[in-house]
Amino acid sequence: MMAQLFGYLRERSVVLKWVFFAYLAAAVVFDFFVERHHTHFWGDHIIGFWTIFAFFGCLGMIVVFKGLSHVWLMKGEDYYDE
Amino acid sequence: MMSNTIFMHPATYFILGAILMPFANRLKLQKVLLLAVPLLAFYQIHHLPASFGVCHFLGFELHFGRVDKLTYVFLHVFTLMALIGSIYGLHVKESGQHMAAFLYVAGSLGTTLCGDYLTLFIFWELMAFASVFLVWYRRRKRSIEAGYRYLLVHTTGGLILLAGIFLRYQNIHDLTFTRILAEGATTADYLIMIGFMLNAAVPPIHAWLPDAYPEATVTGAVYMCAFTTKTAVYVLARGFPGFTALAILGAIMTVYGVAYAVIENDARRILAYHIVSQVGYMVCGVGIGTAMAVNGACAHAYAHILYKALLFMGVGAVLEATGKTKLNELGGLYKYMPWSLVFTVIGGIAISGFPLTSGFISKSMIIAAAGADHRIFIMLMLSLAAVGTFLSVGIKLPYFVWFGPNEGVKEAKEVGWNMQLGMFIAAFMCIFLGFYPEYLYRMLPYPVTWHPYTMHHLSETFQLLGFTGLGFYLMVKKLKPEPKMNLDLDWFYRKGARVFMWVASKPVGAANDWVGEVYRTVGYRFTMAVARAMSWFDWEGIDWVLDGSAKGVVKGGDQLRTFQTGKLQHYIGGAAVALFIVLIIVVLL
Repeated sequence: MMAQLFGYLRERSVVLKWVFFAYLAAAVVFDFFVERHHTHFWGDHIIGFWTIFAFFGCLGMIVVFKGLSHVWLMKGEDYYDE
Repeated sequence: MMSNTIFMHPATYFILGAILMPFANRLKLQKVLLLAVPLLAFYQIHHLPASFGVCHFLGFELHFGRVDKLTYVFLHVFTLMALIGSIYGLHVKESGQHMAAFLYVAGSLGTTLCGDYLTLFIFWELMAFASVFLVWYRRRKRSIEAGYRYLLVHTTGGLILLAGIFLRYQNIHDLTFTRILAEGATTADYLIMIGFMLNAAVPPIHAWLPDAYPEATVTGAVYMCAFTTKTAVYVLARGFPGFTALAILGAIMTVYGVAYAVIENDARRILAYHIVSQVGYMVCGVGIGTAMAVNGACAHAYAHILYKALLFMGVGAVLEATGKTKLNELGGLYKYMPWSLVFTVIGGIAISGFPLTSGFISKSMIIAAAGADHRIFIMLMLSLAAVGTFLSVGIKLPYFVWFGPNEGVKEAKEVGWNMQLGMFIAAFMCIFLGFYPEYLYRMLPYPVTWHPYTMHHLSETFQLLGFTGLGFYLMVKKLKPEPKMNLDLDWFYRKGARVFMWVASKPVGAANDWVGEVYRTVGYRFTMAVARAMSWFDWEGIDWVLDGSAKGVVKGGDQLRTFQTGKLQHYIGGAAVALFIVLIIVVLL
C-alpha cells in the first residue's frame, strides 16, 4: 500500500516539483508578515535573510566539502588494508 | 551497602539481567528478560530518593546514587532507549550481544547516577569494555580491528581521566563530582575534561566514533549511538558548564561532523559523523552555560537519542535486509521496504528540525541561547550545521537509499515486526515531543521560559529547510555517491601504528637480541631498584594509589622473569608504561 503510494507520487514528480517551488515562494512571502520581537541578531531584521543563508550555505558547503574530499581526503576503500 | 539500596539502583537490574541472560536463553525466556529489565528500570527511576548508596571503601566515600533534575532527564531517556533497543534486538538469539548491551547500559546509568569520581571511573570503563563487544560481535575482520582501535582510544581516554582524578585528589582531597568553575580550573580539572571530551567525540579526539560505529552489529550500533556520547554530555553538563572552550569546540564539531556527512558514502558512517555534529550542539550548549543553554543541551540529548537511534534502526533494517549500507550500491528500496522508509524519514525530518518534530523544539533552544548570550558567530555556525544536517541526513541519505538514480537493489523484504515496532516507538516519540514539548521541558534542570512555536522561528525554519532543499535539487549530480572513503584524524594512529610496527620489527627486533642478553644479567637488579623506588613513593604519601603494588613488584620479580620469554611481556610492558605516565603526572604536577 505504502509502496504504491510512493510509486504514484514518483510518477508525478513534475507536479511535486511545482508544489515545492510554490512552497518556497510562500516561505519567502510569509517572512514579510512576521513580527520580529526579542531578536538578538541583526540578520533577524532582514526579510529573507535565512533564505539567502540557507541557499548559499547549502551550495557553499557542497562545493567546499566535496572539493576538499576530491583534492585531498578521498581515498580508496581499502586504503588502510593495503 | 544495604541490599535494598542495591536494588534501588537501576544499573543493578541490567547487570543482573546480563548475568541471567545465558540461563534465560537456555530456558527460552530471553525475550521476557529483554523486555522486563528495561521496563523495571524505567519504573524504578521514578522512585529514586535524592541520595542513596553511600558506602566507604578503603577510606573513600563512594556515592552510587545522586538524583536531581539533571540526572533524571538523562535516566529517563537512557532507560527508554534501552527498552527501544531491546525491542529492536529481540530477534537476536545470541545472548552475548544482549549481555554486552545490558552491561553497556548499566555503565551508562551508573555514570549518570554516581556522585564521586571513583564510582564514575568504574562505570565509565564498564561502558567502554562492554560496548566494544557490540563491535566485535559483527565478526568481520574490519570489525575486530575497529574494535581494538576503539578500545585503545578509550583506554587512553580513561587513563587521562584517571590522571585528572588522582591529581584532583592530591590538590583538594575530595573526589565529589560537582560543578567546576571555569575561573579556578586547574590542570587536574582540564585532564578530567579531556577524558570526558574524548567520549563526547570532540575533535581532534573524535575519530574513534566514525571508525567503530559503522562496524558494529545492526542492533549494537543502535545502542552505541545513544549512550557513550550522551553520557559524556551529561558529565560535561554536570562538571563543566560555562567553559568557553567547550562552546567554541562544540560549534566547530557541528560543522565538522556535517562536512563528513555530506561527503561520505556509507550510510552508517554518515550517521556516525552526524553524531559528532549533533553532540556538538550539546557540547556548545554546555559551554555557553546559561540556564537556557544547559536546558537546550539536555533537551537536545533527549531528542537526539531517539531520532538518531531511529535513523540507525532504519539503516540497520536496510543492512539486515540487503546486507548493504553503501549509498552507491543502494537505491530504489521504496518498493520493498516502504515502512522503514517512512520511519527513517521521520527520523530525518526530526533531526533536521521540522516543525512538529522533536528537533524543532530542542535544537532551536541551543541556537536561541547562543543568540541570547550574544555569541553571533557560534549561532551562525550552528545554523549552518542545521542546513548541512537537512542536506546530508534529511535528504541525501533517504534519497540515495530508497529512491536514487540507480536502483541497486532488486529484491528485499521488510524486516521483522520487532524491528518495526522499535522504529515505530522512536518515530512516535519524535512526533509526540514536537506536538507536546512540555512533556520534555518539564523534565529539564531549569525552568523553561522559551516557546519554540513563534511566528519568527517558524518563518526562519521554513526558509532554512526550503532553500536547503533547493540547493540539493540543483546540486544533486554533484552529490552522487562514490565508492570511496575519506581520511580523518584516525590516519595518525592507523598509519602511525604501521611505522611503529616497522620500527618494532626491524631495528628493534635486531636490538632485542642484544638487549635480551644484557637484560638477563642486569635486568633483575633493575627490577629490584624500580620496586624499591616505587615502594618509596608508596610510603611517601600516595599510598592509596599504589597500595600493595610496590610490594607486589618485589614479590613478583621472580615471576616476571618467567614472563620475559613469552609475548606477555609486551602487554605488561605497555601497562607499565601507561602506569608510569600516570605516576609521572601525579608526582610531578
